Amino acid sequence: MKALLVAALMAAGVPEPSGYWTGPNQGDTPDSVAGATVIHTAQLAKLIKKEKPVLIDVSPSPPPPPDLPAGTVWMAPVHRDIPGSVWLQEAGKGEISGEAEDFYRAALQALTHGSRKRPVVLYCHPRCWLSWNATKRAVSFGYSRVYWYPDGVEGWQEAGKAVSATEPRRP
Amino acid sequence: MKAAAVLIAATLTLGTAVHAADPPEDQADRLKRWHDLSQQVFGDKKLENGAKFIAIDAPDRAMDAALVPVGVKISGKKGIKALYLLVDDNPVPLAAHFTFGPAADPREMKIRIRLEQYTYIHAVIEGQDGKLYQAARFVKAAGGCSAPAGPQDQALRDLGQMKLQTLATYTPGKTMEVQLHIRHPNFNGMQMDQVTRYYTPARYINEADVSYDGQEVFHFEGGISMSSDPAISFGFTPKEKGELTVVAQDSKETRFEHVFPIPSATVSQ
Repeated sequence: MKALLVAALMAAGVPEPSGYWTGPNQGDTPDSVAGATVIHTAQLAKLIKKEKPVLIDVSPSPPPPPDLPAGTVWMAPVHRDIPGSVWLQEAGKGEISGEAEDFYRAALQALTHGSRKRPVVLYCHPRCWLSWNATKRAVSFGYSRVYWYPDGVEGWQEAGKAVSATEPRRP
Repeated sequence: MKAAAVLIAATLTLGTAVHAADPPEDQADRLKRWHDLSQQVFGDKKLENGAKFIAIDAPDRAMDAALVPVGVKISGKKGIKALYLLVDDNPVPLAAHFTFGPAADPREMKIRIRLEQYTYIHAVIEGQDGKLYQAARFVKAAGGCSAPAGPQDQALRDLGQMKLQTLATYTPGKTMEVQLHIRHPNFNGMQMDQVTRYYTPARYINEADVSYDGQEVFHFEGGISMSSDPAISFGFTPKEKGELTVVAQDSKETRFEHVFPIPSATVSQ
């Protein structure tokens, strides 16, 4: 995992697509998001300490496979992320429903107490396009201090930082 | 109040059973998960602390989360009926359940598993005394369940082909350590095909029976936490000459069978 993470961080980013990314969630991502700032673990830790930014985790939650034999004990995995985060599973979709987009917009508005200048941090996993999309979307909503943390939950955890169990917020 | 008492009891049990040097900070959540999980698998049966004689061998930090070697060594003289390996934080936590027959030496077993996130691994043995004993170990690795599997047609090539490797020298009448490999992608249903963007349907080895000259070595039931190309290391006691028979089946009910003459050709098909 660590090797993978390092490789992911070292890989030169692909060019930014003009719109939202609608391809596979996992893959090589760009090094930037127009209108937003890319940050890594040390900077994020500092930002959290200093300014208490709004932290939004947009990790997906895969459904149980439909074809497991009857009687298989399935226990939805506990999702852990950066403490204090809000988990919005749909906010980073390339093709987002109107309802999910409204929900994301309203969640941001509530979490920032209506201030477009409040710092907002988006993340999911390493090499994950969902947080890239969600970052771009937050910029499009008019937020002026949007941060993309591409190292994701795993990057945070690998750096020895605490994670905590969370539940998704749904429309 | 009752739940709290159970949790405290669980804390005490786990507290002494943990081998890994680096316990996680969110211990309470982890204990609750184990409590729920052990209820599902073992019901209200009491789990005794087995940390003194069950050792789980696994890397503290695994390089490849889709292929984490986990071994269980059991010391002492206790008779062993069955072994369960559970990965607490995987979605289907029960990775393997072995029931041992008269031809087995169950004191050293090894498998390879997938880890979706940092997790406790539990080994639970059922003794001939009917009691359950547990031990745990914390392992750091993540992303092993959703790691892409590659094109389906390629992964299904040589499906069910088997190989047997000898891990120690062969002496009739003494325990022989072997590793069985079964070629199978063990699709877990959580791997997205990067081209089609659909989840590859689950298909994995969920049963295997290993016998030596008509005597049972073990019966294995496996879940999607087992890595692709499942590998099982185990011990049995060979005679001058004999045959090890493996009959395996996957969750789509395809059956695979192979007979290995022991000694001689240990690698075949």
